Amino acid sequence: MSFIPGIPVPIGGIEKALGKLWEESGESKTRASLINLAIYSEADDSLEKNQAVIQGIAGEHAMRSLLIQANPEAPGSSAEAWISMNCYLRGAKGGEVCSEQVSFQLCGEAARSLQSVVFSHLDSDLPLILWWQADFRSPIDCKLWRWVDRLLFDSQTWSHLREQFELVEKIASITEARTILCDLNWTRSFPLRQAIAGIFDASCALPELQFLKTLQIDHAPGYRTTALLLVGWLADRLGWRLTIESEHPQFQDARGNSIAVSFRETAGKSISRVHLESVSAKFEVTREANSDIFLITASGEHFGCAPRSLRAPREETSELLLLELSRSSQHALYRNAATIIKPLWE
Amino acid sequence: MNPANLLTVNPLREGITNRLAPEPCTLVIFGATGDLTHRKLIPALYNLAAEGALPPAINIIGFARREKSSDEFRAELEASARKFSRTALNEDLWKSFAASITYHQSSFDDLEGYKSLATAMEEADQQHGTRGNRLYYLAVAPDQFPVILANVRESGLSSAKEGSWSRVIVEKPFGTDLKSAQALNTLVNEVFAESDTYRIDHYLGKETAQNIMVMRFANSIFESLWNSNHIDHVQITAVEPLGVEGRAGYYDKSGAMRDMVQNHLLQLLTLTAMEPPTSLGADAIRDEKVKVLRSLRPLKGDDVFKHVVRAQYTAGLINGQPVPGYREAEGVPQGSTTETYVALQVNIDNWRWAGVPFFIRTAKRMPKGGSEIAITFKSVPKVLFNQKDENLEQNVLVIRIQPDEGISLRMSAKRPGSSLRIEQVKMDFHYGTSFGKATPEAYERLLLDAMSGDATLFARRDEVEEAWAFVDAIEEAWKTRSDDLAFHSAGSWGPSEATALAARHGVIWRRI
Repeated sequence: MSFIPGIPVPIGGIEKALGKLWEESGESKTRASLINLAIYSEADDSLEKNQAVIQGIAGEHAMRSLLIQANPEAPGSSAEAWISMNCYLRGAKGGEVCSEQVSFQLCGEAARSLQSVVFSHLDSDLPLILWWQADFRSPIDCKLWRWVDRLLFDSQTWSHLREQFELVEKIASITEARTILCDLNWTRSFPLRQAIAGIFDASCALPELQFLKTLQIDHAPGYRTTALLLVGWLADRLGWRLTIESEHPQFQDARGNSIAVSFRETAGKSISRVHLESVSAKFEVTREANSDIFLITASGEHFGCAPRSLRAPREETSELLLLELSRSSQHALYRNAATIIKPLWE
Repeated sequence: MNPANLLTVNPLREGITNRLAPEPCTLVIFGATGDLTHRKLIPALYNLAAEGALPPAINIIGFARREKSSDEFRAELEASARKFSRTALNEDLWKSFAASITYHQSSFDDLEGYKSLATAMEEADQQHGTRGNRLYYLAVAPDQFPVILANVRESGLSSAKEGSWSRVIVEKPFGTDLKSAQALNTLVNEVFAESDTYRIDHYLGKETAQNIMVMRFANSIFESLWNSNHIDHVQITAVEPLGVEGRAGYYDKSGAMRDMVQNHLLQLLTLTAMEPPTSLGADAIRDEKVKVLRSLRPLKGDDVFKHVVRAQYTAGLINGQPVPGYREAEGVPQGSTTETYVALQVNIDNWRWAGVPFFIRTAKRMPKGGSEIAITFKSVPKVLFNQKDENLEQNVLVIRIQPDEGISLRMSAKRPGSSLRIEQVKMDFHYGTSFGKATPEAYERLLLDAMSGDATLFARRDEVEEAWAFVDAIEEAWKTRSDDLAFHSAGSWGPSEATALAARHGVIWRRI
């Protein structure tokens, strides 16, 4: 491994080594932690990538981070660990505030024993947020998931959507709703959902929601699932029923009117345009490739709404993670939306 | 379309926000060319707009005397927002937001100006869908309130149409004594119902002030100790190193008691001492706060001089730099007896707080600035570790309001070693350290609340008047004497009389 994520330490000596690290740093550094954030990945370069993500958010979200690069299929068993601190300056006069990071490279049996190898190094009494960057595997390890307070995953990276979603459902049933499930792909669509919802706060636009007939979404290559989740959300909230399962699906609203949905793959942001059309009005949210705002327009005959543009977040992994951690939402609508569009997956 | 089946609630809103949605409205700012509008209101509104927190239909009208066009007004506001906004200004977002701002030129005493404002607002309702909802912000000196309110009423601006609302936001000071506060409240309530009156005390918009209730009522460990069985005394402090800084005209008439104690500090006292409310509804919370004010043991006559110390700073050093005394400051009348320092010891006569002294202190030209509430718990019994030659320090829970908002707890711990030595250690929670992100300005929260109809963080009429009744009695006593005015040099921690006041209860003022 060319990238070294910190000071190498024996697995059994992590806490002691962290204590020593703090001792040596003197009084200029303050330790801060609100959560344990564990990130599990089976990609070869994940420690370096995830360390960059953590460094991007440590200033806004104090945590003990546990980065795990695992190869559970490797023969035998080996485990290596490194410790480091992510520090940032607080205020003009303040000293440095630091979050602890423990990085693991686990192979074979050690990679399959996260509870004993990794979770014995949690900051006690703080919630455990686990970001699972690998595919979920059957059979589900009940003991592992029951430890987790919030399970993050990103359906945008799944290659077998239906199978993975079913495994997520199983995890949800095992943990009896104690674990909050967070699809970062759903979080990714949040700012856009907020922008769309905002349009229909206006009394002149609200009635149009019942008469939508067209929905067009432009998405970047690889972001069809993000677009589908957005469709699932609208269908759930507006009571649409899926009637045609195809590449360009069709829904029916409560009055029996059809809503045609189409997708267009185009370079740019994950979702660069959402166009909604009712019988008498058109609404559009667009985001240019280099822009950090959502441009929102509304038009139609005798239509007086003039929606405002909104700030849009940067589409970086750290920003996405930060949005999820800051909102700490229960994601009550996610499973409804995902269930509606399940027939359209794959 | 069948209107009977039309949606009335936006179904897409669910799961997006967990607060009451602000309603479409026209916001009229009286005093739109003033400092408050430029430094606080417009930057706050811009940030709310950029985050998608403002209602979709909002129409902001600046009402002021000076001649200028809407374009000029917007350009001036843009320059201020660029300077004072907590986030960097984005050209496109500003343009999108500023499209909802217009300027309405009129003198405050010209009824025609209000009538044309009414016409402009009705047009805006048609154009922007602001639904006839009105929010009036009186960002002017209190002496302008009567003429503005009279004209607002006379022109029909205060009457909401059916299904709409008409609210007013009033900035402090809410009067200068009980009589003027009552007169002001009566004046406001003749035009706006009390439920439509929002009195801003920006201290209540601060995160830590809001967190006092969460800390007390969302943690079982604190509430069971929050009474006279366990608490020795409470100190509430708000001090600053600054002098009057160009506000001498106002400050010399007001003094520290009216400027700080009557509003900010008594608000903090009520949040600290109130009983658990029956709900999180605005009136349920404010009912409990009022009960605290009504339970304050009145200070009258000679009692005032036993329980209250007033003082004024003289020349001294702040951060090593010489500063003039209060009487030497520009605009302060010669021989002024206005207090720049107040320390009070008050009692709350109810079951929870019987026998627990509350100390309140506010001052200018202190060595450093800060606001905090410090709860000192009773000493442990004089057995085991607290015998004659040990004398353990008491546990102190400190809620820091500013700067560096947070909470700390001082407790005893054994110093490592073969002998038994007990040291004081501090458990410290800093908002900035744990939550990092810059917290929204108090005005952002308060403006949204007013648009949503949530009055929890605004002072109710009875709160204001009860606070004035308490403060007035002290002011009355002060009028009978002047020899009690103490002096302390700028940069010191206050007069010896204040030290003695605390010492009578075995208390030492905290170094903040």
